[in-house]
Amino acid sequence: MSILQVKGLVAGYEPGLSIVKGASIQADEREIVVILGPNGAGKSSLIKAVAGLVPVTGGQVLLDGRDITHGAAHLRVRQGLAFVPQTENIFPLMTVDENLRVAGGVLARCEVQGRIDETYVMFPDLARQRRLAAGSLSGGQRQMLAVGRALIVHPRVLMLDEPSAGLSPKFVEMVFARLGEIRRAGLTIVLVEQNARAALAIGDRAYVLVEGREAHEGRAATLWDDPVVAELYLGQRRSA
Amino acid sequence: MTLQFIADGLISGSLIGLGAIGITLTYSILRFSNFAHGDLMAWGAYGTLAVVGGIGEVVGGAAPIGALSFGWPLILAALAGMVMTACLALLLDWLLFARLREKGQSIIVVMASFGASMALRSLLEFIFSSSPAYYSRGIQMAMPIGFGIRITPDQIVLLGVTVVLVTAMHLFMSRSQTGREMRAYSQNPALARVVGIDVSGVVRATWIIGAALACAAGVMVGILVQIRPLMGLDLLLPMFAAAILGGIGSVPGAVLGGLIIGLSEAAAVQLIGAEWRSAVAFGILMAVLLVRPVGLFGRAER
Amino acid sequence: MIDLMGYGAFFLSTALIFGLITLGLNLQWGLTGLFNVGISGFVAIGAYTSAILTSPDAVDRVGGFDMPIALGWLAAMVVTALAAALTGFATLRLKADYLAITTFGVAVVVQLVALNAQGLTGGPFGVAFIPRPFAGVQDQAVLFNFLNLGVIAAVTLAVYLALEHVSRSPWGRVLRALREDERAAISLGKSARSYRIQAFAAGGAVMGLAGAVQAHFIGFIAPNSYLPTLTFQVWAMLMVGGSGSNRGALLGAVVVWSIWVGAGAFSAAVIPGDWQARAASLQIVAIGVMLCLILLWRPQGFFSARRRG
Repeated sequence: MSILQVKGLVAGYEPGLSIVKGASIQADEREIVVILGPNGAGKSSLIKAVAGLVPVTGGQVLLDGRDITHGAAHLRVRQGLAFVPQTENIFPLMTVDENLRVAGGVLARCEVQGRIDETYVMFPDLARQRRLAAGSLSGGQRQMLAVGRALIVHPRVLMLDEPSAGLSPKFVEMVFARLGEIRRAGLTIVLVEQNARAALAIGDRAYVLVEGREAHEGRAATLWDDPVVAELYLGQRRSA
Repeated sequence: MTLQFIADGLISGSLIGLGAIGITLTYSILRFSNFAHGDLMAWGAYGTLAVVGGIGEVVGGAAPIGALSFGWPLILAALAGMVMTACLALLLDWLLFARLREKGQSIIVVMASFGASMALRSLLEFIFSSSPAYYSRGIQMAMPIGFGIRITPDQIVLLGVTVVLVTAMHLFMSRSQTGREMRAYSQNPALARVVGIDVSGVVRATWIIGAALACAAGVMVGILVQIRPLMGLDLLLPMFAAAILGGIGSVPGAVLGGLIIGLSEAAAVQLIGAEWRSAVAFGILMAVLLVRPVGLFGRAER
Repeated sequence: MIDLMGYGAFFLSTALIFGLITLGLNLQWGLTGLFNVGISGFVAIGAYTSAILTSPDAVDRVGGFDMPIALGWLAAMVVTALAAALTGFATLRLKADYLAITTFGVAVVVQLVALNAQGLTGGPFGVAFIPRPFAGVQDQAVLFNFLNLGVIAAVTLAVYLALEHVSRSPWGRVLRALREDERAAISLGKSARSYRIQAFAAGGAVMGLAGAVQAHFIGFIAPNSYLPTLTFQVWAMLMVGGSGSNRGALLGAVVVWSIWVGAGAFSAAVIPGDWQARAASLQIVAIGVMLCLILLWRPQGFFSARRRG
């Protein structure tokens, strides 16, 4: 049973200028879905629209069968749909602890500390730096903080926009390993990635987005060798 | 030159600082300079005056507390005034600012606040006339406290009230969930929505806090000086200067900025004369803009 | 009848002077998007500059330069432009709000100088005996009023034509691009700031000229002619007329001034004496509400051909 369904979504920042042009994707429970595509294909805008950050002009977003197409962004978080943006995904002037705590506004007061402790168990690096301003963290630590903060509310679906961007290979490996663990804990993950090889390695299914709609869908394991995909997206540059 | 200017400056500076908290929060969270903020102050002072009058009608006059010039009716009325001013701010936001914010041009919102400021101020003149009003007719004797400084009981108590309000404000911003959400929103509005923060709640909190503190400052000006429809307009430039000097978005910065401006004004009054008082804030503002536009505790805007 | 014509000429002269100020604001805001809430200050700088330079000797302030009126007007433009350029220099690299706050401060300080620097501005009593054009025919009221109207109309027309020319010139196109497209501003880098300063100074010069023209038209100036209400009226005029259009600016000035004078006359006739002062404040409330309503529902104004979002 698919937990997240996106049907024919049309979205864009300015009226008449759609970036997402009728994209349909879905994600089942405990699945890692990867969204690939060339630059400017609208991958980022697609998950931002699903998160409620880009105005939607057509189509539907269903979370667990419930229509959330036009709900406010903060309500989607409460309904179990978490999103980690690619850049500027932490509050730099607040401490690590405050960054986590501020996301706990939707929880009962007594739950917050427990959830924060959980996050520190998962990311021991953050625990050591809990009193530091988040702006002083390294790129990889910021990414972990952003992921940890998204998990505070125990979402059912976690969407990430290029979590590996700008990270060293060591951190990329670590981030993806963590995503695998998170899925095993019962979450559905939707992942937009440029780093196709790393993403397909942990993904179950993948979509290739071209010009604002999905052009291809397949099992992640086989997609890498699919000639249609090679032509659509990976082109001649199969060097990644 | 006597040291009296220190007492005078601290008192007027704390009033400016209280007002500047609202300006700095509106700027960093709602992203516009609110030219109507001074008028919220004046409306708060007059609203309180009306409630004091009402209480007087119902229960008759009450004796002042100790050596102070006012009694419990004024304290009660000031609390009511804070609620009323907050409601006025929320009403203005609903009628005007929220609608213009949606259109996305922040400078249009500034212009609207300028129009609203003229209208609010003139409406006060219409209702209460432009002649000054007072909470109490009593004259207070200033007591010497050493170093040639004299201070009235009202001034001491109101300084204490300011310290309590500013401390409460600081704790609220740093410890409470709403305060954290306000800070988060001011740093990155889009990310704030992503982490589940209800923007309308943040906006409401900003108006309520800014308006309530403006009212408190207005009532204090009313107790220490007098109540006039123009009282807010006269404090607008010092409040802006304090908010910018302290660094936009910083609550402690706004208070410190207010104190610096209050002290400079008081020193200028002694050195060059009372008539040039208002030029001090402008001089400080220009100096900050030329030398360090982000202010004392500010950060570069993204 | 004669009286009425004389009054008509007087009314139109005043309205056109407002029109001039509005034209200056249109160059700053309508064309370049620079927000000025200190209009009254810049108008006062122009008025005082020309008045001090052209008026005869006075006992307790500098003066007695007795310069020709035209020179006074020119000086008014130069001094006001300098003040505006300085304001722009300090703030135009920062967010737009800082310019607004600083111009507000300029108006406060100018008011303060006008009131307190007695040796320069005459203090609260202002400057009197400012030479008026065609003072020789001053006793023939109608002729005098019409001759003055002629001068004011000529100045207004000249400024209008110059601004129309400017807004079509390459310089004007750059300003418009800066206003409408942030990327253009970034690609121009430092010179974007310089363009904005130039536009702000030029708009200031027009306001200063208007102040000078008005000072010589009335023959007397005092600090309380330059209160924030003036700034507010001019904004209402530009918003009614439609920012971005010079013709709209002039039309807006005439329309709003008519409403203002009409409402004043109406309340003078209808409202009992002791309520007059209060009624005057209702007039301002009405204009304030009108300004907000225009911003909400018709930001392009009523006389502007060009529609803006």
